[in-house]
This record gives sequence, structure tokens and C-alpha cells, in this order.
Amino acid sequence: MIELLAITDDPAPTEPPLRIVRAGGLGVIVAPANEDEVDADALWRREALLEELMEQRALLPVRYGTLVQDEAAAAAAVAGRGDALAGALRRVRGAVELSVRAVAPGQPGEGSPGEHLQARAAHERTAGALHGRLAAAAREHVRHDGRELLRAAYLVDRDEVGRFVALVRGLQAEHGELSILCTGPWPPYSFAEPEGA
Amino acid sequence: MSGNAIAEREVALVDLVDRLLGGGVVIAGEITLAVADVDLVHVSLRALVSSVATAQRQGVLPADSDAP
Repeated sequence: MIELLAITDDPAPTEPPLRIVRAGGLGVIVAPANEDEVDADALWRREALLEELMEQRALLPVRYGTLVQDEAAAAAAVAGRGDALAGALRRVRGAVELSVRAVAPGQPGEGSPGEHLQARAAHERTAGALHGRLAAAAREHVRHDGRELLRAAYLVDRDEVGRFVALVRGLQAEHGELSILCTGPWPPYSFAEPEGA
Repeated sequence: MSGNAIAEREVALVDLVDRLLGGGVVIAGEITLAVADVDLVHVSLRALVSSVATAQRQGVLPADSDAP
């Protein structure tokens, strides 16, 4: 079995153990399926491979755990979606993904129901304001529900990453009551699915 | 400072696992990798985000934890 790691439109060869399988105008970057136990180190090793590829070419990460029998099956899996995937590659070219979480002190459920509702409304206003300012510095953005005040991903031009991180630091300075956690740059995991798919 | 580096790496791992499980383009294939194992890693690390946040408020961690 082989694992599908990423879709690219750059035909340049890859270093072993990676291989690139041609599928129409696209390439599928594959690796031997991991037989070992999944632990954090294994996930980071896989991530390092993707990040190295990301330095060299535009790519769409494939959903983790996608295995096929062989290279012919890899090509077949991508054939037929070529146009949509090429469009998705254009969308992420030259950009990286940054993750931002904002965590507020205190747990929901403290105080009376009325106070709880008020606190939630205040948190939502803050989260909306933070997200709005970050989204304005990004090419695209997606916000997820979660326990955190804000959990979102931003697609940011490579050249703008420094400016984006400075913005995060500025927001942290403005909001000393929150913890704003920014990680990346990541491959564009949250922006890989073709639009309308 | 090594404690901070570990905490930042854990936060980054939460973000990585979020992306592995919920991101990436879905291609027809035979999904047989042990996603359940990753889910367990995910759950065990969830609590870390809030504990790291607490440490950060206390000035233990820099606010600009832009790891990895």
C-alpha cells in the first residue's frame, strides 16, 4: 500500500522515499504506507516531508490516512478531478496557512445564567473583532467552532507572513486578558478542498 | 526555557492533528491508517491548550508562540 501525501502541478522529481506519480497535468506525491504505530514523532516526520515539499512547489495536502494499492490506483484516484484540483492549486499558490487560537480565562458555567450569557456575548464580540482584523490580512480564512474563543485558519501570502505575525503580536498586546496562540506556516490543509466540492 | 519549547511543540501538535483529521483534500482511496490512534493523541492534548494559556498569562510563556 502507498499513502497519498499531496497533489502538485510541478513535475519536478522528489527525493526517496517519496515518489511522484503523473496523473494528467498533475502529480500525486506518494510514500510507502507507514506500518509503525502512530505517535507524535511519526506525525511530525510526515509533516516535515510535506513542509519540505511546500518550500519547493505549490501543493494540496491530501487528507491524512488516504491509502491506495499502487501507483496506478493513485493516478486513477486523481484522474477525473484534474480541473477542480488545478483550480485549488491556483488558489493556494504562493501562500501558506497560519493557525490562530485565542483562549479566554475562566470556564463557561461560572456565575448566574444571565452573567453566563453576557460573558458569552462579550466573548463572541471579541472573537469577531479579532477574526475580522486577521481575516483582513489574509487571502482567505476559515473559522471553526470550538471551546476556544477563536479557532481559525488563515491563508496568507508567503511575503505577508511577517506582517501577519506582527499583527497577532499587536492583538495579544491589546488583549492582555487573552492568550493568542499562532502556529505555522503550515501547508494549506484548511484550503485544499476545491471550492464547491 | 526548555519547558516553554515543549509546551509550544504541544500546542503545535494540537494544531497539526486538527489539520490532519479535518483538513486536506479528500481523494477517493482506501482509508486504513489508524486514524483512531491519532484521535487519541488529539484528545490527550486538548487540555494542553488551556494549561499553556494559563502559563502564558502568568508570564511563563512568550505570547508570540509561533512554533513550529
